[in-house]
Amino acid sequence: MEITFWSALRGSQQVVDAFNSSQNRIRVVFQQIPSGGQGGYAKLSNAARAGNAPDVATIEYPQVPGFAIDGVARDITDLVTDRVKQKLLPQALKLTTFDNRVFSVPLDVEPMVLHYRADLFQANGFEVPTTWDEFAGLARTVRSRFPDKRLTLFPTDGGTQFACHAWQAGARWFDTSGGKWRVSLADEPTRKVAAYWQGLIDEDLVFRNAGDSKQHDAQIGQDRVITRLSGAWDAGAQMRARPAQKGKWRIAPVPVWDEQVVGTHGGSTFAVTKDCREPEAAMEFIEWQCTHPDALTARLKSGTSSQYPVAPGLVEAGAKAFPGEYYGGQDVYRLFQQEADKIRDGWVWGPRMTATLKVMQDGFAKAGAGAGTLIDAVREAQSGTMPDLKALGLSTEEGAR
Amino acid sequence: MKGRLACAVLMAPFFLLLVTVFLVPTGTAIWLSFFAADQPGLGFGPENTVFVGLRSYGAVLSDPTFLGSLLTVVLYCLLYIPLMVAGALTLALLLDSGVAKLRGWMQMGLYLPHAVPGVIAALIWLYLYTPGLSPIIDLFAEADVQISFLGINTVLPSIVNIALWSNLGYNMVIFYAALQAVPREVLEASVVDGAGPVKQALRIKAPLVRGAIVTVGIFTLIWALQLFTEPVLLSQSTPMISARFSPSMYIFDAAFTRNNYGLAAAASVILLAFTVALSYGVTRWTNRKAA
Repeated sequence: MEITFWSALRGSQQVVDAFNSSQNRIRVVFQQIPSGGQGGYAKLSNAARAGNAPDVATIEYPQVPGFAIDGVARDITDLVTDRVKQKLLPQALKLTTFDNRVFSVPLDVEPMVLHYRADLFQANGFEVPTTWDEFAGLARTVRSRFPDKRLTLFPTDGGTQFACHAWQAGARWFDTSGGKWRVSLADEPTRKVAAYWQGLIDEDLVFRNAGDSKQHDAQIGQDRVITRLSGAWDAGAQMRARPAQKGKWRIAPVPVWDEQVVGTHGGSTFAVTKDCREPEAAMEFIEWQCTHPDALTARLKSGTSSQYPVAPGLVEAGAKAFPGEYYGGQDVYRLFQQEADKIRDGWVWGPRMTATLKVMQDGFAKAGAGAGTLIDAVREAQSGTMPDLKALGLSTEEGAR
Repeated sequence: MKGRLACAVLMAPFFLLLVTVFLVPTGTAIWLSFFAADQPGLGFGPENTVFVGLRSYGAVLSDPTFLGSLLTVVLYCLLYIPLMVAGALTLALLLDSGVAKLRGWMQMGLYLPHAVPGVIAALIWLYLYTPGLSPIIDLFAEADVQISFLGINTVLPSIVNIALWSNLGYNMVIFYAALQAVPREVLEASVVDGAGPVKQALRIKAPLVRGAIVTVGIFTLIWALQLFTEPVLLSQSTPMISARFSPSMYIFDAAFTRNNYGLAAAASVILLAFTVALSYGVTRWTNRKAA
């Protein structure tokens, strides 16, 4: 039996090789595709439209409802057995379940953490901030002592990062509980978060440019940015991108408001597509990828990943396989585990998340250049999303519950 | 009978192309805009293709990002068309006046950018506009002038500049050809009546090539309303160009990022109607002035 599998995740080839040599009934044919924003999602949509989508595809959390509504991701409720469910963090599976139907199986769940330059913190006597107030205070200190450095970046292309901040503060951008898509991007927690970052921008305490840019690479490489706010996965990305900074970074819990909760930033899931002819075999492969220690070991051994597995049973294997020298031997997986338990319940991604976040980012870029504010950008994202949802024929409502 | 057959054979390719590359796509777009693959409620059920009437049109017209893209393209037209027509006409009049030396070389030099495909033109200018790559920005920086071609207020003029560079020479050739057709005796009569070269150009020649001016104006308008290639390429270097910057980009984004074909089709039909209405309006207006 042959299963085709598309993914942009690094280390996938190693995982597929390990699966293929672990048994001889199912042979997985892997194709590395560009990441979603770089054309991977368009490729998947087009293939599904032409009727030749791969059997298994990788979809990030924000895009799951969209691919489910479009009928690309198959309803796999009956294939996800209780045995599988018991192995996965329930809060992760909830993010891929809509209308009581499961549309994809989460691979990793990525609580946001604070990556910081331990060497610079120590040399200057900076304390690792645990609350957002302390974070803003430290941002002021950094700015006044080192005019060319900033504590962090507000990424103008970081819609998912902003969503994570809002999530942590208790925002509910989308809510499906009433059988309708209730959309309230600019709810009270989001307004609080937007005002907080707007304050940092107005005081010139943070850089504001694209995160996925040469400019930001330079900011990190030249020690001008001394913390990064991102998911656990970013620990591996950092190792790959900047081997020269080995030993200088450590990871701490993300600052909190008042409750000890966090949001997630990043993370991927596997969907069985509508064109799959062997759903059971596809599901077997997915289950192995998400829950078998050998899969995680294969991925981490590739040296480019630090994903936090959605199966708690794999944390041990992850901690063992992750090359920890870059972080000075810090037990980062224990930290991720502790943070994953604090993921705030109730977040739901929307039906056209790529487009919603894109409109928001267009506004962020303008706000970063001094035209408009962050909350304007959030409101524009909502008003630019509603027509889309209406044209799709979805039942919608606006405003907070 | 034979004549009719010959007529049919000779016209067939035109009608074949008209049907396959214009009527069928337009018809498909209109059809698509009235139907949608709907699922009730949250949308996770099985899809049914249903007639949705004007729903997609309502959605497009209530979308501030679409209305914003229309506004952008109107601003672009207001900036671009007068500059283009005035610039091309001025150059043509200069060439025609006999002031210019090396006329053939001038014409070729001005026309050459038009032979460069739009994508290549945008890439050339992208290089000249991008900070860190651009020798122009470096040059200004040496004189201590900070200049940004892709900033929030400069990005539209930068696009206009690319379009002017590409099309000025082409429209100049059209004007120049029209000027060649101006009867010499009229020009001689004007000289006898005491018109200098400037007066002759503005009062005699320009009014006589009115038809060409209107044609160039309308073609430029139709072309400008479909603004797509230049902003798409420039958007790689600046976040100030959003994915829904112009109506054509909105349509592309609706179809291929948002997978919302009904919305894309409705937006296409609206853009088509907008273009037809505007060109009709301009034609009527210029005809009335002529009458």
